[in-house]
Amino acid sequence: MPNHQLLDNISHKDVHVITENTPDFCDISSYSHVFISEFKDVQAHYPIFFQKNPQTGQFETIALFGLAGEENLFLTDAGWQANYLPLSIQRRPFLIGFQENTEDGVVSEEPVIHIDMDSPKISYNQGEAVFLPQGGQSPYLQNMSSTLMAIHQGHQKTQSFIDTLQQHELIESVEIKVTLDDNSNHAMNFLYTINEEKVAQLPDQVVTDLHRLGYLKAIHMMLASMTNMSDLITLKNRRLK
Amino acid sequence: MDNLVREITIVGGGTAGWLTAGVIAAEHMANSNSGVKVTLVESPDVKPIGVGEGTWPTMRGTLQKMGIDETEFFRQCDASFKQGAKFAKWVTGAEDDFYYHPLVLPAGYEKINLAPYWQPQSDQVSFANAVSFQGHLCEKGLAPKQITTPEYAHVANYAYHLDAGKFAAFLQNHCINKLGVRHVLDHVTVVNASKNGDIASVSTKQHGDINGDLFIDCTGFNSLLIGKHYNIPFISKKHILFNDTALAVHVPYQTEHDAIASHTISTGQSAGWIWDIGLPSRRGVGHVFSSAHTTVENAEKELREYIRPSLGKQADEINVRKIPIEPGHRKLFWNKNCVAVGLSAGFLEPLEASALVLVELSAAMISEQLPANRDVMDIVAKRFNDKFLYRWDRIIDFLKLHYVLTKRTDSSYWQDNCLAQTIPEDLQTLLKLWRYESPWQLDFDHADEVFPSASYQYVLYGMGFETCARHTTRRSDNIELAQMTFQKNAQLTQKLLAGLPNNRELINKIKQYGLQKI
Repeated sequence: MPNHQLLDNISHKDVHVITENTPDFCDISSYSHVFISEFKDVQAHYPIFFQKNPQTGQFETIALFGLAGEENLFLTDAGWQANYLPLSIQRRPFLIGFQENTEDGVVSEEPVIHIDMDSPKISYNQGEAVFLPQGGQSPYLQNMSSTLMAIHQGHQKTQSFIDTLQQHELIESVEIKVTLDDNSNHAMNFLYTINEEKVAQLPDQVVTDLHRLGYLKAIHMMLASMTNMSDLITLKNRRLK
Repeated sequence: MDNLVREITIVGGGTAGWLTAGVIAAEHMANSNSGVKVTLVESPDVKPIGVGEGTWPTMRGTLQKMGIDETEFFRQCDASFKQGAKFAKWVTGAEDDFYYHPLVLPAGYEKINLAPYWQPQSDQVSFANAVSFQGHLCEKGLAPKQITTPEYAHVANYAYHLDAGKFAAFLQNHCINKLGVRHVLDHVTVVNASKNGDIASVSTKQHGDINGDLFIDCTGFNSLLIGKHYNIPFISKKHILFNDTALAVHVPYQTEHDAIASHTISTGQSAGWIWDIGLPSRRGVGHVFSSAHTTVENAEKELREYIRPSLGKQADEINVRKIPIEPGHRKLFWNKNCVAVGLSAGFLEPLEASALVLVELSAAMISEQLPANRDVMDIVAKRFNDKFLYRWDRIIDFLKLHYVLTKRTDSSYWQDNCLAQTIPEDLQTLLKLWRYESPWQLDFDHADEVFPSASYQYVLYGMGFETCARHTTRRSDNIELAQMTFQKNAQLTQKLLAGLPNNRELINKIKQYGLQKI
């Protein structure tokens, strides 16, 4: 159960964070949210799909780490086996919360940092200090703070990207069927991808518009990222041995 | 003068008029110059009846074909899910007397008829629960899909409950703005005949004469074209289906979190039954009864007693609307160049929501078989009349089935319903046959029956009807397959009970986030 608390330098003054990513110090999930601003790095290592948020039914972009529910094939005792960590993995155990601010009678919502005190990354004797002995933010926390800002902005930009794709009906469902070396079959039917044929048939004006928004590049990065499925299968087959 | 069918004029708005307009305009491209022109004339003076709040699952396909966004439909029509009907106090009248008529087919229905295998254990499990999961979903107040299920797709088959007034306005907007239907808001004063007896035009107060190659009568009980103009006789069915009056009320929820039932609740009374339909913003409740068997005062009293547990004292203050019903239909529905759809064609009673489905079926057939010209129109008209006379008869049989299987003897209403002279001969024959053979796939003549044989099974066995086991064995007997299918249904039930959201929660989410197209 997550235990989200508003971060402050009194209640959390001695908190440290274990930054290594091994099965002991990382929540195991078969995917994480990724944002359009990081597609370039993500697509070099992971397949990028859309999936529907189970609470809202709305599409979100994800990087896939495994072929089954709680399987992360990149997560090993020797650490995370890829050279790029998606922002929403990097941020852990921190997350963005919103605080209502009233200034001159105007209510606004301001992003603030929360920390999940039940995360396996929380420690009091190893890892990176969150606060300096005098109570100031550690360089590590400052770094995390900018990661959270990138997520906050990336979230909105990714949503506009998805909305545009839906307007042009470019998202299609895809069923992934995999046969492993031990002849076991695995099927995933909750994933969505970009309909390549429809992209090819887009009118010139739409192509130009998508290009100007940077979406054309993102579309092609998503399509190219599919080749990483074979890496996932290789990793999975390796675990069978 | 050419005799091509290019212009269709629909007289009358309401759900029948706008549904018919939408179905035809979408298929025949009323918004393009090469399509058929569709005009709907609607009187600003006449208020639609607007009670029909239940649909059949066919409505999903009908809306989808018209290009309607299901999320918008939920947002604008106060719509909710309907997974079937729960019939309470129809068999014995006792407090614990109820059965379900769910919308999913019995498990394995294409392969096996489970009824004979269920019958020996009928005292342990109800038929609906043995062969389907949907009654459980209804009892637990669960929705028939998830927020991630695409629009119009289902986990459990579903129809809708809706606010008929809002639905008509919603369809009107869609028909005019998306489908190219021309809307004339005016009162029709005269129907003008041409020499061959066709309707040439209808005169209006302010918009002059409106022509048409085909006229569709959606004027409700007024029946302006098929009834008043053509004098097509009305065939009363009151000797079979006794209910001739309805009293309707709107029942508010006590809080915005109150559960919305995902099924119609139909509760037997002393001389009729009460419908209870949960919309997101209110319940629509009504008592439909036979005025030959009770007084309006008594019927109103029973209605107020029904809503008292949820309303308390307010139950005595709530406004009751009285609606007369004449159960029956026209002798013909399509005469010359005029076809009647909706109440103008006929109405039986609200049981099993057969009114809107008949509108959909009529609109679909007119649209599919739209005569290219006047020369072939009479052929289509005959087919239409044959088909719909058959359909009305089957609906009458099916509705009557709910009454003839009662074991209630507490009032003359239920006793009279079981008298042989009130039961159509077809139904008597079927009931005799079903004593020895349960209805299954081949029991009816037409491929596109309004009520499939599964519906007959749910009502028959829900009401405790017994089909005798055969004394000899058959090669197709397969007890293993039957047991496996029962088991699978039980497993699926557990899975769906764990995986489906609360009905109101899902409806709120649909309004907030929307359903995906894919």
